[in-house]
Amino acid sequence: MPLQIQTIEHMIRIMVITLDGRLDAFEAPALRQKCDKFLADGLIHFVFDLTEVTMLDSAGLAAMVSVLKRARLKNGDVRLIWPRAEAASRILKLTRFDQVFISIEASQVIPQGF
Amino acid sequence: MKIAIVTTHPPGKGSLNEYGFHFIRFLRTKIESVSEIVLLVDELPGGEKYSIEQEPGLIPVTFKVCWKFGAWNNALRIRKAVRESNPDIVLFNIQFASFAGGKAAAALGLLAPWLVRQAGFKTVVLLHNIMETVNLKQAGFGSNPLMENVVRQFGNMVTRFILHADLVAVTIPKYVEILESKYGANNVLLAPHGSFTEPSSEMPEAVPAGPPNIMTFGKFGTYKKVEVLVEAFERLLPAHPQARLVIAGTDNPNVKGYLEGVRQKYARVPNMHFTGYVNEEDVPRIFGDSWAVVFPYTSTTGSSGVLHQAGAFGKAVVLPKLGDLEQLVVEEGYDGEFFEPENPHSLADAICRVIDNPERMLEIGSKNYLAANGLPITEVVDWYIIHFEQLLKK
Repeated sequence: MPLQIQTIEHMIRIMVITLDGRLDAFEAPALRQKCDKFLADGLIHFVFDLTEVTMLDSAGLAAMVSVLKRARLKNGDVRLIWPRAEAASRILKLTRFDQVFISIEASQVIPQGF
Repeated sequence: MKIAIVTTHPPGKGSLNEYGFHFIRFLRTKIESVSEIVLLVDELPGGEKYSIEQEPGLIPVTFKVCWKFGAWNNALRIRKAVRESNPDIVLFNIQFASFAGGKAAAALGLLAPWLVRQAGFKTVVLLHNIMETVNLKQAGFGSNPLMENVVRQFGNMVTRFILHADLVAVTIPKYVEILESKYGANNVLLAPHGSFTEPSSEMPEAVPAGPPNIMTFGKFGTYKKVEVLVEAFERLLPAHPQARLVIAGTDNPNVKGYLEGVRQKYARVPNMHFTGYVNEEDVPRIFGDSWAVVFPYTSTTGSSGVLHQAGAFGKAVVLPKLGDLEQLVVEEGYDGEFFEPENPHSLADAICRVIDNPERMLEIGSKNYLAANGLPITEVVDWYIIHFEQLLKK
């Protein structure tokens, strides 16, 4: 009997969103709009790269939490690359979302283990 | 997830009833995470009854009346009610004077979160104020320095009991820092107040038609005192003879008769209107008609629901230079004109900087609208649910 070959290709789409500057009440609507479109397109795995975010307030965090909630409802998730600026990491710690979002290094964006 | 919430709720008029109402209004929509809501509420006067519409698509809500403002045994009654309800999570929507106006009964009531946790239930406290930042005299709790010191010591002790909850949420960043540094707490988190309205894409009209309408909103008599506002209003009347001052709200339960006293004392002042209790359906009109919303506070006891409401309606605000409030405005992206607390000259100047300058009024209103819409209470409720889920995983 000839060899039977079956192939299954697994593709995981991960949207890496790199932010640079302030993420506050004035800038958050633009981020929300972009993420709404990604979610509507079926994306459920996100990485927010906050390395260069200089300031994050509760409205900015709310935009990311909104994505987290909707991604998780579809069995997806959101991971964070931690900000360098204290003015950006402070709100994550105060709200204890540092214990909710999984924090990763930039090199970990691509799934490891192969 | 079945959630029990210890709270006040309309038609009850106790403190935080409005916050409880809006929090529950949006919690009911979270059908993907929550299966049932039990409200552990206080007894209503005069045989009034709680009711809520059980609409399809919304999570069912039941009321369990199990405590009474001013009673000594509230903590025990609440623990019993929690045991009977058997929820997955118990949330307390409280502040230091939630359970009584008297010191001892108030303190005993605040043991409820600890008792409930001891009974084996996951317990989260939303604490709207902390003892360290309350001006006890102005909040009606300290009649002399010795008594104030005694109350503060008791307050510290009660705070330690409250911190036995699984999580304690506060609405101002500074409160997290105080509770962590003073009590060594590691279970405190910031959960911003959030604005009560649903997100909207339309910026409301910033300058309403008609004469300048200056409004203040709240429960008055303790740290919210309107005398300085009335005196400031008197000062700006010569330049604005058509201006109106609207004092919207009631007496604080600890200071009955306060507003009537103000009305009599300032009977000479024209164009002053007292609305009495403002029903939920009248809130948009009250805010919508206003040119400036004024906060005549002498101290703060937590985040300001009125600030978030003013923002949601795109209104300019006039605020006292008080640490908590100033920090909150900056942290949450709001804007306003500031005045020296208890100084009518300074307040009159700040009001004029708004009502004489439509561009500035519009600028403040727009910023406040964006800030309020940046974090509506429906999303704050999501934050709580995420933390509840995290807690239940442990």
